[in-house]
Parts: sequence; structure tokens; C-alpha cells
Amino acid sequence: MFERNHKTIFVLDHTRYFSISSEQYISLDFLKGKFPSGAAEGAGGAGGSALRSGDGTMFSKSLWTCAVESSIEYCRIVWDLFPGHKHVRFIVSDTAAHIVNTWSASTQNMSHVQNAMVMVGVPPRSSVQSSDYSVIHGLRAAIEAMAEPTDEQLKAMADGCQQISNKGRVICITSARDNTSMKSLEDIFNTVMIQQNALAAPPAKKGLVIDHCHLVILNIVPLGIESLVTNRNLLDISPLLAVEIHTVAAPEISSKLTHLIMRHYDLASTTVTNIPMKEEQNANSSANYDVEILHARSAHTVVCGKDVSVLPTSIKEGAAYETVTLKWCTPRGCGASDLQPCLGQYPVTPVDVTSRPSSCLINFLLNGRSVLLEMPRKSGGKTTSHMLSARGGEIFIHSLQITRSCLDETPSIVDGPGGRVQEYRFSEFAQHVKLSRLMPLKTKSVPPDSLRPEHERLCRRLRYFPLTTGTSILYHLQRQMTWLPHFLHLIVKEDMEKPDEVRCQQHIYELYTSASRGDMLPFAHTNGARLKGNKIKDQYRLFYRELEMLILMTGQTQTPHHKNLLESLQSLRTAYGDITPKTEPAHLRSYTESPLSPERLEPNTVISSSNSVSLLKASKRRMSGSGQRSLLDIISSAERSQSSKRLDFSGRLCTPLGQVAKLYPDFGNKEKDSPTPGSTPVSKEEPLRS
Amino acid sequence: MPTIIAVDASLSMMRPVPGRSDHTYHSLALKGVGNLLDNLAAAGKLEHLALVAFTTVTELKVDFTRDYDQIRQAVKKIEAVDKACLITMLKTAVNIMQAWGAQNVLQLVVFTDCGLGFGSTSISAFLETYIGRESEPEYAWLKTLATYKINFICLGVHSDAYFTNGLALYQQLLDAAQLKGQLFMTKPVKAEGGDGGAGGQNAGGATSHVSHKSELGRTAVFELVERLCESSYKLTEVKLKCGSYFRLESSVMLWPPVLPYEQPAVYDGDPIIRTIDQRIDVCGYLALSDIGSPASLSRHWVLPKVERTASRRSSGMAAASKPAKLTLDVTNPNYEFEKLEQDVRDFYLKDPKDAEESGDDADVTVVSKHSTLPLSEQQKETLCVLLHGALKMENMAALVLLGEKWYGFIYAFTDAKKKSNLMLNVLPPGTNVIPWLGDIEMLGFAEDISPGETASFPVRAERRSYSQSSVVWIRQASLQSDVQKVLRHAKKMPDKTQHFYKELNRIRRAALALGFVELLEALAMLLEKECAQLTLNGANTECTLQLQHAATELRKTSNRDIKSTIVPLQKVGGTVDAGAATAATAATPAAYLY
Repeated sequence: MFERNHKTIFVLDHTRYFSISSEQYISLDFLKGKFPSGAAEGAGGAGGSALRSGDGTMFSKSLWTCAVESSIEYCRIVWDLFPGHKHVRFIVSDTAAHIVNTWSASTQNMSHVQNAMVMVGVPPRSSVQSSDYSVIHGLRAAIEAMAEPTDEQLKAMADGCQQISNKGRVICITSARDNTSMKSLEDIFNTVMIQQNALAAPPAKKGLVIDHCHLVILNIVPLGIESLVTNRNLLDISPLLAVEIHTVAAPEISSKLTHLIMRHYDLASTTVTNIPMKEEQNANSSANYDVEILHARSAHTVVCGKDVSVLPTSIKEGAAYETVTLKWCTPRGCGASDLQPCLGQYPVTPVDVTSRPSSCLINFLLNGRSVLLEMPRKSGGKTTSHMLSARGGEIFIHSLQITRSCLDETPSIVDGPGGRVQEYRFSEFAQHVKLSRLMPLKTKSVPPDSLRPEHERLCRRLRYFPLTTGTSILYHLQRQMTWLPHFLHLIVKEDMEKPDEVRCQQHIYELYTSASRGDMLPFAHTNGARLKGNKIKDQYRLFYRELEMLILMTGQTQTPHHKNLLESLQSLRTAYGDITPKTEPAHLRSYTESPLSPERLEPNTVISSSNSVSLLKASKRRMSGSGQRSLLDIISSAERSQSSKRLDFSGRLCTPLGQVAKLYPDFGNKEKDSPTPGSTPVSKEEPLRS
Repeated sequence: MPTIIAVDASLSMMRPVPGRSDHTYHSLALKGVGNLLDNLAAAGKLEHLALVAFTTVTELKVDFTRDYDQIRQAVKKIEAVDKACLITMLKTAVNIMQAWGAQNVLQLVVFTDCGLGFGSTSISAFLETYIGRESEPEYAWLKTLATYKINFICLGVHSDAYFTNGLALYQQLLDAAQLKGQLFMTKPVKAEGGDGGAGGQNAGGATSHVSHKSELGRTAVFELVERLCESSYKLTEVKLKCGSYFRLESSVMLWPPVLPYEQPAVYDGDPIIRTIDQRIDVCGYLALSDIGSPASLSRHWVLPKVERTASRRSSGMAAASKPAKLTLDVTNPNYEFEKLEQDVRDFYLKDPKDAEESGDDADVTVVSKHSTLPLSEQQKETLCVLLHGALKMENMAALVLLGEKWYGFIYAFTDAKKKSNLMLNVLPPGTNVIPWLGDIEMLGFAEDISPGETASFPVRAERRSYSQSSVVWIRQASLQSDVQKVLRHAKKMPDKTQHFYKELNRIRRAALALGFVELLEALAMLLEKECAQLTLNGANTECTLQLQHAATELRKTSNRDIKSTIVPLQKVGGTVDAGAATAATAATPAAYLY
């Protein structure tokens, strides 16, 4: 759970010795005139020779500056690569320990550390060196800091975790006279740690027990000075403590820490080679540059397993570690949006953040473009093994699959089950997809535990959704009947209101009139051809049935308006002989409220005004006069007046009154010889003729 | 799951199966291969298969392909050569598999009579040299082999001591090299009667008098292959749900099968083995451009489940001759919906007579097919096709819940050949697995955005060192280029007065953080020299005055404080030209804070 690199503490020696020069001199005269670019353009080459070198613009960093800049560089890499997961603290030691930052997230960033360091400043040169000045204060404070829990460890405690592992690393940048003083440093550290652990044990329970500590001592000397301290690899001093000692010339600390950080955080280096960049001087020519980046080692191992030898490597001048060299592929319209089969993504940071090639690459990526990186294959040819892309201001290296995948050949969906069906409602589903797009919210009314509530809301939006227009009348006709989409939209509204209902009732009524006229519904594939036989009646019957289904499904959060609509629809269906009127009383009640019912008295009367308000008024007026007629009465009287105009069914005409007419008396005798369209046994109703 | 089918082509395979004059071990092996191909073809021909025959040498007959007929042809041509050499075959298999890397589940299916081999190439000889020298590089290939799944279809009868010895030795090999192997064999038939039913794979074959016929034959081998397919080639079946309507919840098959994921314990303890839920729920949709290319544990095709048993809704002749509703199950909770859909479907069907009349109508021909042919699988609408079409249209993906705090996304994947299908990417468990999407559980719909708030992707990370103007002077060149930048602005004052002070303060601040007071002094000197230089060349007075001012300010110890900022000289005596005026107006300290 908590690895050793979860906690790192830098102890910086702030004693007088650190104010001395690193003896590596920097000349700013170098800039004048001779510098190939930039300076020349500004000065116009005018006074370049006026200043000679050695004019006093030679200066050097102090040991302190070297120590601060390299330790800040160390945490720059850590915080770029493991934001919020790995913590680094600084303690400055002179006559006492000065705490620069804590484990809390607000102080775990570069600007906090840098601002605090301004206040620390360079050790005073003039002060009297006394025994009060020591790095020991800092080391003691480091051990105390190690015992303090981080936010993650506090959370683990809160979660009831019994055994919280607490390991850490202390990197101490100091300067010791000889091996003996180094030894005493180690011993003091070990003793203090045992004391600290005694405090952490019950009953005092002050802080966390330190399970193990890795102490790295960097013994700093100015350039060209020999040290009496010998280098030593990791050595176990006690079960609690392992120490390593490195003597480094001040200008080399950074390089040393870069090598150490690779081990401390299991990092690997990748060098992007052959990046074409325009020359600053000559925008027409371009040269190729290399940029080295750091990232978690897994970015390499996840691609090729433990055998990293597949990847091409090289060793940079002056470095002791290998870097994987991958070639830049000039992106061909390859946006960051192209989905690559990705095995792992890891944050990266450039080794040299300020160099021009680095910032060119970074800006290219931050502007939203991605870069594929290719490696040569052993068998010849090339393959893209990684991709660099930035998202949300953070750059990642994506490890891609370089081996053959069993998903290589796509089985086409068209050849699969349902692939050849023609009438899928793609665009309507796509509309739903667009409307159900997820966004990152800053707050949620209920603390989220899963996205299941969102799933349930999504499901509610699709209560009735036939997959094809071949299994739906409503959604088929939607494209042909201009009023239908809006009508369907009103119906599925969860918060239907009175005007909506009136509107819907009106449409239902219009439908009824066109049904009673025997109008054809405008199906796409009938091409205007007349429907034969009972299909004319069936089309409305199915329309009503589906509409009822739709209202029923939507109506699970029913408003009274939905209920009203449903009831009028059911009455219609009853009138149409589709369902038996079992629930008569309900209909009665509903139709005393319905704005439409009285108009049914004369179905042939075309209502000129489609204004729902006037309709409503009219209905109220009629209601008082028409007495207590049910919708059934109204509709059946309309039916009667219709049917009285046409010839009765011949079967009924030749059957004595009171007896039931037998349909198709010959049915079953010669099945094969009765291909008449209306002769299927399902349809017992007489065909409606107009 | 790329698979190598290895067929033993040793002479011993040519023996007739005891008690069966019609079968040799070889012919049974070929029948077994055929049956395996049948099974895999029925499952959608998704597996890549290769075929090898092994004797003293191992010969690759067919390289990895999905064209099973090629294998069917090649397997017929396998002829017995000499002795079996299993170790050579295993070693060759590792080579053949190389192209697949470690991201695929690799399998080996061996059809053999479990011969022991002879002499130095025999299994026992191998074990003798191997045991105790496991870590030597010469045996490194066994480590790779250990990641494969090895299935032996062991052809033999248990009364044959040679066969049972072989089995024991094969098992010993698997254990010694820690291979993930399984031996498939027929159950031994008890020599004595009494419980003859125990080994009876063949119906009616188990009589009290034992005959080999009942133990090993075509049916028995098919049963072994069946068991193999059940254990190693089963697709993951889950329900995919994206709406309340019954058609929006459908059984789908995931291929390759979703492997259990070993999730490390949060703090302490053993890792938890996790499998995805039986039902995966769509929680919402995301644009593919917002998702990018996040790390995924695995990818799978999402295929509609094919009903093998006669479908209840199969209409065709049945539907034409009798009412469709008879084929629907009234007890089905979705009966009402299915019936309505069926009735609508029937309504759209034209009568045969009509179809003849308007035969030129393309739609009609498709429709009329329904009435004469059984509604084949291809013609039955599926949720997968609808989802695929809509997602492809919008370039979006469906975010799905796979288990507790475990998500994935489904999208339309199109390959280079423009073939497209529905794909599921399984993300690692957790809700913060795609940094640029933020916490997945904090996602919501547009209507959930509180007023005045905006929500859009990507979720921005804190600024990294490379996206702010970091100062790192470890390399001298970067220090020099920073100083150079200041000088460049210096020469262009008064036009660049603002830039000059901005850069100057940037350097000063960084130098203070590093305790690099030497730089401040050096910079002050440099500015003075520059000033002298420019005066000689008759530069703008404004410029020289500002340089002098800046040098003085750099040296002041009172300015060695984090809060102080060097501001331009406000009043330039006498020579107030246009440039100075702009500098003066811009000289509010706030302009230089960064």
C-alpha cells in the first residue's frame, strides 16, 4: 500500500560552509556578441567587442544554491509524474531545524517550496561557526516528520486499517569532514529513530511507527576538492535503517539526483529522436532535435514484458542509465481523439524542462496534437510502440500494443445477427445518445456511490422504444405525419400539463374523424396504394393500440392528464371493437370531463376551429345539454349512422335475425383454395367500407 | 485466444483402438480436430487457429488463420512418420506463438495417445536433465510456455498400461515445469460390472462385460472436445441494458472472454479476484474525442447472442399458416409488447398477391421474404446493431457499469478495412482511472449542472512544471539564455520596458529562491556595462536611465524579499517622449506581478 517513496524528506545543511563557492564559474560575457543567435539580432553586432571576458562578470553558484536547485528539480519530477500520490518535504538545518513544508497537499508544490526558500536564503558567510550549527537538528526533525501521517495514511486509519506501513526516505545534503563524522551521523540517526519509535508505541502513541528508513547522504564538496569521506553503497545499519553515502562535487548533484530518482521511483527514460524543428534564425530550414523525457518504467515494460531488449536503447553522454530511443512520427491528421489500443498511460516530464527542443515538443502536445513514436522491429520494418498526447494540460505517454491482437480482423456487424435489418431507428437513438451526454459535475446533490442512478434515469427516457420502424406504427408514421412528432413528444412528457392534454385530445379526435372517414394512413411502403380489406381498419386499430402502450409506459409517473388521455383512447378502442368495454364506469367518468366527447355526436361534422380553447368551451356548453351519454353511446351511434348508409354484410343478410352469422362456412374444407385476403380466421369483424 | 492445434503423428497413433476395427487413434484424433473446428465455427469463427503435426520434428502445417477449411484440408493430409517428441513440439509452439506477445490468452490443444517418446528425446529423459536446472537459460522457453493454457486430448483406454503410464508422466511434466495444463481423458470404465453406469459416455454402451468400445470412440472423443470448449472457449455472456423497454435489454456475448481481474487490496491483505457483473448497465454517453486513448485492461467484441434453440418468435411458414400470436409465450412479461410488434410486423407484410403486383418495390421483396422464409438470425433486429449505428453516427461511446466502482465503454470500432463492430474497452477498476475525465462518479447530465456553473471536458489537472514558466538553471545554457532575454529587452527600451522588468523580476525571484545572490550582483554589473555601452552609441536616454535604475534596485538588500518587485523608474526627467509615457502609464506595480 504505502511504498517507500510515498514519503521523501530532504534535509538541507544550512551551515556556513554551504555559503562557499562551488568553484564552477559562469561567465555572462560569453553572451556578448559572440553568441550566435538572439543577442546579435538585438545589438546589431555594434558593441560586441567593447567588453572583454574576465571583466568581473564571472561568478559562481554557492554550495547552497547547488543543493537547493537540484533538490527542487528532484521534486519537480516527482510532482509532475505522481501528482498527489508521492510527497516530498524539505527541512533546512542550521542552529535549529526549519520546516519548509508539511505533508498537506497545499504545501506539496513547487511555488510553495520556492517561496519558502526565498525566506531561508543563503547561509550567512560572516556568522561565527559554532557547534550550534549542525545538520543533526534537521535529521531529528526529519525523523519526526516521518512519524507524522500523510493524508492518505490518515484516511487508512479512518478506514480502520490496523497495520499502516510507514517507510520513507531521507536525502540529506551535507558535508562531513571524514568517515568518522559520517559514522556518528548514522549512529545518531539510528538512535533517534529508535527513540521516536518508542514514543510511537503504546501507551504514548505519538505518531506512526517508522517501519524502515532509507537514508541517502550526499556529501558535497566544491569542484576540484578531494573528500576524506568514502562512497558507500546501500548498507543495513540496523533493521530499521539502511544508509548509502555519495560524495559529489557541487555542480554534479543534479546529475546524481537524476540517477537516484530513477531508482527511487522506478522511472525510465525515453528519448524522442528526430523531432523536426524550425531554426530560430532561419525559418525555412529545419533541423532534427532529440528530447529526453522521464516516466514510470511500466510505460516500457507493459509493452514488451520484462524483456525490454526489444526496445532500442542508447546511453546519453555523461549518464549512467539507458534511455529508450523512439523516433518521432510526423502526425498525419492524427488527433488526440483517435482511439488507440492503449495498455497504459503515464504522466511524463522532460528531463530538461527549459530547453528549446523540450518546450517546442511540449507546446506542440499541449496544443492538442498527439505524436506517435515508432521503434524498429527486429524482423525489419517499424512499429508504433508509444504515443504522446496531452489532455487537461497534462502530458501522457501511452503504451500501445505492438504484438498481434486477436481482435485484428473485425467481424463486420453487418454479417452478424440483425445486421441486415433495414429499418433501425438509428437517428432517433442517436438523438437520445446526444441528449444523454455526460458532463463532469463539480457537485452532486447526493454524494455519489455509483452511476446507477444515472443509468436508471437513462432507462426512464426509453420506456417504449421499438428498435425498428418495421415494428412500430407510430414511429413509422412520424416521418410522414407532420403533427405526430410533436404529439409524441407531448405524450412522453413526464410533467404533462392541461394545455398539452387538450392538444393531445384534439389530435386523438382528429385521428378518430379520419378513421371514421376511412382515410389511409400515409405509410411509406404502400406508396399510396390502397390497403386491402381489413387492413384499412387494422391500421387505426394498431395505431390506437400502440399509442395506448406508449401512454401506459410513460404513465408510470402518471399525471391525471395521462390518465385522461389513456381513458379516451381506451374508449376509442372499445368503439372500434378492439377491446371489450369491461371498465364502463371509468369511461363514463372520464368522458364527463373530456373536452372532446360531445363533438362525437355528429362525427361527420367537421370542426372548423382547431383552437383548443374554443373546443374546450364548446365542450362545456354541449356537456350541459347532452345529458349523461357515455362515449360508447356517442361512438356507437356514430357507427350506426355510418353503417346504416351502406349495405350490410352479405353473410348477415342471409342469416335469420337473432342467429349468429357464420363466417366462411366453407373454411377448412378447401383451405388451399381460399386465398381471399380477408379470409384469415383472425378477423371476425366485418370490413369497414367507406 | 490464438490456439495451436497439435496432432501427434507418431506411428503409435496408427494402432487400431482396442476393440474397434473401424478406428485408429489417428482417425479419432482427426475426428476430434474436426469436431473442435465445428464447435469454434459455431461460436462465430473468432478464434485464430494454427495447425502443427509433431513427430521427431514439429511441422507447422497451417499458420494462424480464421479460415477453418484450410485446417480441415491440412489435417486430412497428416501422415504418421516416426516417434512422438512432445518437448520439441512445445518448444516450437513457443516460437510460433511469439508474434502474439503477452497480451493475448494463448492456448495449445494437443491430440495425442500420450506416447512417452524414446531415448534422449523422451519425456523422462527431459525431466531427468531438467529437474534441478530450472533456472538455466536453456530452459527459459518453459517460463513463456507456462503462461499458455495447454490442453491435452488424451486418446487411450485405461486398461492400457502404456497409456496410463503416459498420463502419469505427462502430469509429472506439467507439475515439474509449472505449466497450466489439463489432461482430458475418458473416464475409466470399471473392470468389473456392477457400476457400469459410471463410465458410460456412450448411451447403452456400458454393459457388465467391459468392452473397449464403450470407453473410446467417436462419441467419447467428441465429449472430450465438448469439455475442452466448455472450459477454455466459452464466451462471456452478459446482459446489456440501455433502456426500460424490453428490447433495450439484451443478452450479448463478449469475445475474447473477460478474464478475472486481480485487484490489489486497498491497504493490506490478499488481492481480490474480480469478475464483471452479469448485467452491464449503460450510464450515459461520452464523445470519443473526450475519452481519448485511456489505458484499458482488455478489449472485447460485443456480439448479439444467437439463439441456438428454436426461437419462440420464429415465424416463417408457421406464422404464415397460423396466427402469429400462437408462437408467443403468453406468460412472458413482455408478451403484450411482443404481440404488438408481431401484429405490426404482420400488418406491414403484403399479401403474396400484392407482392406480385408491385414486385419492383425493393422494400417489398425484403418484407415478403419474411413471410416465406424462416426469420433467420440476420433478419431479426438486435440491440447491438442499433447501438452500434447510433454511436457510430455520433462518434460517441456508451459508458457502462461493469461492477462496483468498475467501468468500461462501448463504441463502434472501425478497422483499416472499414469493417466495423461494437467494442467494449474494460477500464481498470476505480473511479479515477481516466485523469482527464475526472471522477467517473461525478459525471452527470446537462440538467444536473447547477446554475452559473459550466461543465466541459477535459477536467484540467493542476499546472505541471512544463506548463508554467519554470526556471531551472542546472545547465548553464538555460541561465545564459534567461539573462540574454533580459538584455534583449533592455536594448529595445523604452518599447520593451514592461517586458524587461517582467523578465528581470522573474530572474530575481528565482535567484532569491536559490539563494543565488551572486547572480543578482553579476546581473547588476552587466546592466551597468550595457548602459555604458548604449550611452556611447547614443541610445535613448530613457533606456539608459531604466538600466541604471534596475541595476541599483538589484543591489538593494531591501529588495531581497519575496513580496518586493522592481518597478520601472516612474519619472524620466525632461525627456518625456511617447515611449516613456507608455512606460509610465503601464508602471503600476500590479502589471509586473506574475
